Amino acid sequence: MPGMNSGLNISDPTVVAAFKAALLHQGLIALAIFAVLGLAWVSVRAWMPAGQPATGPPGAAAAEPSWRRLLRISFGLIWIFDGILQAQPKMAVGLPSQVIEPTAASSPAWVQHVVNWAGTSWSYHPMQAGAAAVWIQVGIGIWMLAAARGPLSRLAGLAGVGWGLIVWVFGESFGGIFAPGLTWLFGAPGAALLYCAAGGLIALPERAWRTRRLGQLTLAGTGLFLAGMAVLQAWPGRGFWQGTSGRHAGTLTGMITSMAGTPQPRVLSSWVSSFAGFTAAHGFAVNLVAVAALALTGIVFLTGQPRLIRPALIGFAVLCLADWVLIEDLGFFGGLGTDPNSMIPMALLGIAGYLALTGAPAVAAEPAAVTQDQAGWRARSGRTLDRIRPAAVRSTVAAASIQSVASVGAIGLIILGAAPMAAAQASPVADTILAQAIDGASAPVNYPAAGFSLTDQDGRPVSLASLRGKIVLLGFLDPVCTSDCPLMGQEFRQAGQLLAADRAHVELVAVNYNPIDTQLGYLQAFDRQEGLNSVPNWLYLTGTRAQLQQVWHAYGLPVEVLPAGSMIGHGDYAFVIDQRGHLRQELDFDPGPGTTATRSSFAAELTDAAQHLLAQS
Amino acid sequence: MIASRLLAAVAALTAAVALAGCGTTPAPPVSAAAASAPPPPSLATSLATAGGTWAEVVMGGSVARHDNFWQLFARPAGASRWNLVTPPGTADNGGLILAAAGPSLIAGFRPSQDLTFSPLSATSDNGRAWSSDSPLDAPLASAADALAAAPASENLLALLSDGTAMLAAPAYTSWKTLTTLRTLAGTPAGRHCGLHALTAVAYTPSGLPLMAGTCARPGNAGIFADRDGVWQATGPAIPATLARRPVAVIRLTRIAGQITALLVAGSGHDATLLAAWSADSGLHWMLSPVLGLGAGGVASASFGASGTVAMITTSGSAELVPGERSPWRALPAVPPGTATLAPGPGGTTDALAVRRGTLTVWQLAPGHSSWVRTQTIVVPIQYGSSG
Repeated sequence: MPGMNSGLNISDPTVVAAFKAALLHQGLIALAIFAVLGLAWVSVRAWMPAGQPATGPPGAAAAEPSWRRLLRISFGLIWIFDGILQAQPKMAVGLPSQVIEPTAASSPAWVQHVVNWAGTSWSYHPMQAGAAAVWIQVGIGIWMLAAARGPLSRLAGLAGVGWGLIVWVFGESFGGIFAPGLTWLFGAPGAALLYCAAGGLIALPERAWRTRRLGQLTLAGTGLFLAGMAVLQAWPGRGFWQGTSGRHAGTLTGMITSMAGTPQPRVLSSWVSSFAGFTAAHGFAVNLVAVAALALTGIVFLTGQPRLIRPALIGFAVLCLADWVLIEDLGFFGGLGTDPNSMIPMALLGIAGYLALTGAPAVAAEPAAVTQDQAGWRARSGRTLDRIRPAAVRSTVAAASIQSVASVGAIGLIILGAAPMAAAQASPVADTILAQAIDGASAPVNYPAAGFSLTDQDGRPVSLASLRGKIVLLGFLDPVCTSDCPLMGQEFRQAGQLLAADRAHVELVAVNYNPIDTQLGYLQAFDRQEGLNSVPNWLYLTGTRAQLQQVWHAYGLPVEVLPAGSMIGHGDYAFVIDQRGHLRQELDFDPGPGTTATRSSFAAELTDAAQHLLAQS
Repeated sequence: MIASRLLAAVAALTAAVALAGCGTTPAPPVSAAAASAPPPPSLATSLATAGGTWAEVVMGGSVARHDNFWQLFARPAGASRWNLVTPPGTADNGGLILAAAGPSLIAGFRPSQDLTFSPLSATSDNGRAWSSDSPLDAPLASAADALAAAPASENLLALLSDGTAMLAAPAYTSWKTLTTLRTLAGTPAGRHCGLHALTAVAYTPSGLPLMAGTCARPGNAGIFADRDGVWQATGPAIPATLARRPVAVIRLTRIAGQITALLVAGSGHDATLLAAWSADSGLHWMLSPVLGLGAGGVASASFGASGTVAMITTSGSAELVPGERSPWRALPAVPPGTATLAPGPGGTTDALAVRRGTLTVWQLAPGHSSWVRTQTIVVPIQYGSSG
């Protein structure tokens, strides 16, 4: 999965600083959103004549059942917690290469293909993607907490389902369900799918709240899943029955041991290590307990008998807690933990199912506006128009509860995160932060660029003076270089495409950076190799060795003919020259790891520089 | 009724015989022949020219391909010591392809990493100075004989990795296609041989282009000469004992006014090696005795001035045949790390042994049974320079 790895250190200070700055700026905007909404709400309520603020929708409202409140508040808090985890400094660079890629590594090729697409997108725009994950998850969490009932509350549940599915597919590689070694003990079928289940329950209409059927279905579904997991856990040949296999750790022991190696508090690490040792010694017994507990809980849940379910649920909650601590390692340590893993959501779903089964059905009056559906479209559209009239809007705002205002603010948070990511996705090139992380920011300068008179790839004379009036993006490329220069050539070609609309005002120029292979044939072969011969404003210049050395010297560029089959020793630099022939920027153009994710970042940097100068002119 | 049953039985029998190939061994299908073709020898080799002897080995000892560099060594005629003469300016991790052109030597760089074409360099002073020629805008094949220079005109013939043969006149700025594997395989000569791979190019002493390859049809040596625009089979007749084995030409070169070819007949444990020499543009050939290769293939093959052929097998044994009408001679166990042999003047043979960045030259004098270390060259490998 080449696209996911930008090759940068996950703690790269440039990206981390930029990520923190982005979060800070967006955090300030988030505060402003809530402040503006609050002020508007307070102001409108103050302006409304006394007695006019509405007191709520007509008809008696059903009280929110306890199971729903439990799901809404607990999963709201979990979403917020997950959002905060996404703000960890290593997330921006580390999530694709350290979380998504390893998770997908054992899945089938088609899963890897799907996941790679998302991972590559993240790698291209690490700040926007990282910040989007933070604000979307925090937004969903606040929305769930704030909206207790009504359409806004149901929409919050649906938002949880939507984002949960995205996380489950792209972040968790479908929860690993297509990978070998699937086990409930390690989080199958993926925490995000449980978030989706909770979101789906929250999104159910109020009429679904009123019967015990929902509780029965929830517990039956959970029971069926647990029974299936018990069968999978007991299946021979999957290695779960052996604590050790020869001199190697058994499947379960190996998994727990790997968890113990995750950076985490020493106490926790020691517990997990101890349990790994215990499993190695008593693998059969541990798996027997797991299989029996899963099977028993599953069967009891399927019976739908509260008297049986209650003790089973307590046992199940204890099992989940033990698994969470001793096997899943709490899930959120190490700097790249994205969530508290699956056991807490799993236990919450079980408890919610039990509450729905045993709780008193909510009593609610039928909505007063049943006859609305019988009204004609003219009447309905008339009412819609009425609602958007300024007076009606004021009235609606004044009537809104503080929870509704907070919900709207939360939706604003989600948009705040999603919009920059969506805009970044529209760009075909990676964020310039990657190039800056590799080579540092470009150095702004302003002095006359050294002139030169050389020959282009077609044998025509070209001088820097002849390009006056145009922005010159100048590079130095060795045509037979085997690593950096071809990557740089691709950056120039991509910059040419990005600047196609400004072709008449920008010239992409490279000077031969090889003192031996100076013939035109080398330039032409390089151009064909990198597809640069299709870039109309591309000039690749060469000359005699003496002429070239003069140019290299004038631009302060070292060249060394290395022995023993090495390529020419040279640096990787690019220069931005303005329309007056002044040098305006010096860029270190070393493509560094040269990964798929970093490549176009340099093209973006060149393009930005040219467009900045064009905007000034 | 009986007649019709008899007729049916005869027809069935005829069909069965026809399907069975009338009792003969059918030629293996091309794919099967390709699968069993012997692996080509390494680019590590040595060759003798009028100016001296050249040897090429890969050095660096790194698991990373981009930290292993091919080094060229020259031992000028009359000298006893080798010099490091690797052409500068281009990373040669992909290997060097050498072609003797009169007093000069042309080196083609096989592409590596993101480079996709083949730069060319030439020297006419035993490698002390190199000049850059225009590049071949395509990748040279990974074969030691993928480049050949015509004796008088110094036209260059290049075999590309896709099986195309390209031709250029000196200055080498304009290349044209001479033939392709597909075209050559479609000629009567190519069809007769069942040609399915090209392995080498060469020029005859009179300047005719030669192509060599692997034949699927047993008993055919795939060497073809371009005579008046028509490709004709010109390989040696294979001995009757090998007539049922497919033959691959693994090396083909022109040295000292004659063509020398190395052929492998059969594969696996039955593989045997033959050297062949022709002094008249491939019309007549002399064959060496057959040498069983056992389980090993040819790791490196080298050519001396008087038609000597020396080779190392993949299992580490070394053999030498001094020329036509001579038997193969097993050499003493070669020193550890020996990458190639270099037949020298006076019947001596040098073994070039590599350990990371150090080349040790061992020499075997005529009549002696042990190798003597004669020279050590420390090569300043620039680790990381191609990474």
